[in-house]
Amino acid sequence: MERRKYPLYFSFPALSVFLLFFIAPTLIGVYYSFTDWNVNADSISFIGFDNYKALFGEPRLGKALSNTLIFAAAVTLLQNAVGLGLALLMNEAIRMRNLFRTIFFMPYVIAPIVIGYVFRAIYHPEHGIVNEALGWIGLGSLGQDWLNDPKWALFSIIATDIWRVAGFAMVVYLAGLQFIPKDLTESASIDGASYWRRFRHIVFPLLAASFTVNVLLSVIGSMKVFEMVMVLTDGGPGYTTEVFYTYIRSTFSMGQMGYSTAINLVLFVLVTVVGVPVLMALKKREVEM
Amino acid sequence: MEHPGRKTLVSAIVFLGALVILVPFYMILVNSFKGIRESALFGMGLPSSWNFDNYKEVFDKGNILRGFKNSFLISGLVVVCVTLFASMAAFVIQRRDDRFMRSTYLLFILGLIVPVSIVPTIRLMGELHIRGTYFSLIMYYTAVLLPFAVFLLVGFMKQIPRELDEAALLEGCGYFRLYWRIILPLLVTVLITVTIVVMVSVWNDFFGPFYLMTDSTKWTIVLQIFNFVSLYNTNWGIVFAFMVIVIAPILLVYLLLQRYIIDGLTAGSVKG
Repeated sequence: MERRKYPLYFSFPALSVFLLFFIAPTLIGVYYSFTDWNVNADSISFIGFDNYKALFGEPRLGKALSNTLIFAAAVTLLQNAVGLGLALLMNEAIRMRNLFRTIFFMPYVIAPIVIGYVFRAIYHPEHGIVNEALGWIGLGSLGQDWLNDPKWALFSIIATDIWRVAGFAMVVYLAGLQFIPKDLTESASIDGASYWRRFRHIVFPLLAASFTVNVLLSVIGSMKVFEMVMVLTDGGPGYTTEVFYTYIRSTFSMGQMGYSTAINLVLFVLVTVVGVPVLMALKKREVEM
Repeated sequence: MEHPGRKTLVSAIVFLGALVILVPFYMILVNSFKGIRESALFGMGLPSSWNFDNYKEVFDKGNILRGFKNSFLISGLVVVCVTLFASMAAFVIQRRDDRFMRSTYLLFILGLIVPVSIVPTIRLMGELHIRGTYFSLIMYYTAVLLPFAVFLLVGFMKQIPRELDEAALLEGCGYFRLYWRIILPLLVTVLITVTIVVMVSVWNDFFGPFYLMTDSTKWTIVLQIFNFVSLYNTNWGIVFAFMVIVIAPILLVYLLLQRYIIDGLTAGSVKG
């Protein structure tokens, strides 16, 4: 059958919605980022690189940038480590395996904003579970004001997000583990290979597909974090947990539309620079498979 | 070869992990029945007296049913648009495979990575005179979630043999019938994955309605809770009751369908 006979118009509904409501605003945004668009002013005029000059002279951007990168790196690393660990544990012959699998995935179906509110209670300096639990095991002195202490705030947000998403990574790794033939690991263990060696040389390489999917999704998702930070700290204390979307939100609420579009464009560049190579690696491997 | 203590250790770690997940849920539930003073202590004990007024108050003032209705309407329609549009597009993208289709595919893939430009989106909705309507929010979500769906579906289309198309077309079947009667039914497993992911993303999303929905009668349940907490943040008992009501239906659906949900995501994530 000739390929070109497949009707082009089949792609039009998807393409038009995508072009109109995703690509068009993105391109319009590039223009607005060079304007002084402000809801309190009557007209919009072109001001060249002024927004960017102001933005790069602003320490808040540096904070948003480093926090976003730290958050993305930590979440990617920990989500995969914890998720893989859970998957390996769940792959052992333990009782009620399906029940545990169901429990670990549970937080993922709940809205991040709701989880944020719950953890605000959990991190409460006087009555929160975290400090209470530390008290019970005699480590009360390690208690902190988790969300209001600049040293701990970002860490607490990262921990909350790991609580939420580790189960997702676990499920993807479990899927990968099912494709590994049992006799492969069994024969290696008969040959005297330790658990660690079997994992390093057989299991982990065969998990490559799950690994790439998980890493890609964590990297892309975590750089766009918003609700969790907004609800837990709203970028504070000071700007110590500021990320791109909380910064955009605060300039948006001040009516500085041009400026906030410029921040969005910096995020765009950042996500592209980090995300595209990860995606290319994924695509390349897909070809090899 | 098996270390005797090993199995116990594994079970203990898994059990502890499950506890870390379950304790917060228990904390919300038990405190949702406590009065204003007692709930502020976030204690793990049972309430000194069971207080059901929190729930009554939430139902009276929280506009819960309206929020659920809006969330259900919006996420349902987004699911229909995304699955339909993405499967049609994936069908020709994978089958034609010419330069135009390859660029289209690349554009969608880019949309998978790139963050939404929210401020220009708000303005565009205004220019089109659809700002604040259900339609605008549905189109916004469709545009944002299409890349992911196209990505998964194109990957899956490769596994459907072309011979099937050829046979059908030789029998005199048109392209639309081919798509509708033959291709679409074969995509059902991935479409279930897409439906789950779209449903969960839209239902739980705060970003979209926060920026695009000015009219409070069209707020989704997630926006409803945000607004409610800002008003009642001094009374945790009531806030927790609201959370229980918001979480319960999703959790129920999840627990009933968890097998399909987890298996669907499993299949989608590795094959895509």
